[in-house]
Amino acid sequence: MPVHQHSDPFEDRLAAGLRDAGQTFDPDLHTLTTAGLVRGRRLRLRRRAAVVGGAASLALVGVGGALLLGGGPDADRSSVASTPSARTTAAPVSGEELISTLKKRLGYGKFSQESAHGTTDKPGPAYAQLVWDDGDGGSVVSINLEKVEPGSEGARQWTQCPDKAFTPYDSCKISRLHNGAVLRILQGYEYPDKREPTKVWTADLITPKGQHVTASEWNAEAEKGSPVTRSEPPLDSAGLKKLVTAPAWLTAVDAIPDAEVPSPTPEETTAPTTDIRKTLVDLLPSGLTPVSRGGEESGYGYVVVDDGKGSSLVEINVQPNMGDLLGDGIFEGAEQQADGTMLVTREDAGDKDVPGTVRWTVDTVRINGLRVAISAYNSGGPHDAPGRDKPALTLEQLKKIALSSAWGPSREDLYGQKNGQKNSDQG
Amino acid sequence: MRQVLADQYAEFAAARAGHLYRSACLLTAGDTHLAEDLVQETLGRLYIAWQRVSRVGNPAGYAQTVLTRTFLAHQRRRSSTERATDTFPDRAGTDQRDVPLRLTLLEALARLPAKDRAVVVLRYWEDRSIEETADALHASSAAVRTRCTRALGRLRELLGEDLGEYARY
Repeated sequence: MPVHQHSDPFEDRLAAGLRDAGQTFDPDLHTLTTAGLVRGRRLRLRRRAAVVGGAASLALVGVGGALLLGGGPDADRSSVASTPSARTTAAPVSGEELISTLKKRLGYGKFSQESAHGTTDKPGPAYAQLVWDDGDGGSVVSINLEKVEPGSEGARQWTQCPDKAFTPYDSCKISRLHNGAVLRILQGYEYPDKREPTKVWTADLITPKGQHVTASEWNAEAEKGSPVTRSEPPLDSAGLKKLVTAPAWLTAVDAIPDAEVPSPTPEETTAPTTDIRKTLVDLLPSGLTPVSRGGEESGYGYVVVDDGKGSSLVEINVQPNMGDLLGDGIFEGAEQQADGTMLVTREDAGDKDVPGTVRWTVDTVRINGLRVAISAYNSGGPHDAPGRDKPALTLEQLKKIALSSAWGPSREDLYGQKNGQKNSDQG
Repeated sequence: MRQVLADQYAEFAAARAGHLYRSACLLTAGDTHLAEDLVQETLGRLYIAWQRVSRVGNPAGYAQTVLTRTFLAHQRRRSSTERATDTFPDRAGTDQRDVPLRLTLLEALARLPAKDRAVVVLRYWEDRSIEETADALHASSAAVRTRCTRALGRLRELLGEDLGEYARY
């Protein structure tokens, strides 16, 4: 670090005073680095899920059992500064023990390709996975364990059936067990567009304490890129329920260090989904009739409109604190608006490999870091065949919606004369 | 994240978290809870950008910039009624010499507007030049100079010209 000579002796004294004062603060390095890592992982997952078309990505993240937590309206808003350091009262459970429990629960057949991560190793979700051949063909079977914030949106997402517009499935059943836990059994597909007949059936158990156990099974020996070995995964709903509700899993969840549980933070909260949908509908140009609407995650909403020429899906993501995206490639060449908002437009074929799809996107980041990204399709769903040549909204219409002050404060609201801070807080 | 990068990140975070925390404590004028929060947020942001950050010449400087901007973003989100100057009660009339330097200096810092405090921390704790400070704050050099002069004047007023004498206490 260069040492700058100050012309004023007071500056040297100030520098010395700051050094002395700074040194008196004693950091808890373990808590800082552990909680920083957890935040980073959560940010990354949020960002992946937030790519337009988010609901589908969310579902895939969910199947993998990875952490994806957000603060719901009822969640504790306490700051992550209060995140406890890694500690737990339950005895650690090793990866070998998890594999052994899984084999015991399955009971018979041949096991191979075992992998696991216990609650004792480096931070990361605890899981056990293997290929099980019950005599009718090998299948991947996996157990994923995590703690979630009870009552949070992160917990609730496993107690609702996914939006069928984005995650096609054959069956989804929710039931409440005698101990207050909620069980969701979902029989769906590895690829939402069903381009391969790989099925994935999952059971998610959420207890009132925030224990989350996922049991997943495929009708193939790998989750992706492996031919199917049988028409359906080996365990039926009853078998999957029996596997996911084994008490040993809950004991293992209790052994996951608490620091792995990300707490919701106030700055990452977004408007409730219903508000986003409602605002989107309010901002639609006249003449467009919403035929259906939805959105199952925070900061995301969609509406399917019809102007008489066929269905067109319009989806939107609204997220705060995304200013650092401006350094990423996706905002390269962005145009700056009068209020400082950066805006890019994209025209592509969607990301679901449906032939003929046309997707128009307007992606914006405001000066306060608020990102509003809106896309319109020439079809009624990302996996649907196009029913028209172009989306129902033009890029200009999409821009108008994305730049609306309805999504958050404008530059004037933040820095304008009305709050009297214009000259005291700007460089 | 690939293992090599993950290890690099972990090493960096362990090596720099302490310094970032101390910077954050000065930026927040001694609010250690907020300081922890800011450092965690900074480390989280570095984690997702690590591949890019690890290629820049000075990841430590980059981290400091992220911390400063995170702090300022936090300040902007606070309501306009909750001003930094309200953090501490007015201590006029107390014998400043009986107060350890840390409290005195932190109290004085707390009385500066957030952006002025960021300028002071970057200039005199991080020892950055006017230009580097301007770069970190997305401000012009002239604006940083003005803030700096103003902040120094205010600190002189609050701490007295002989601030250095307190450092020995």
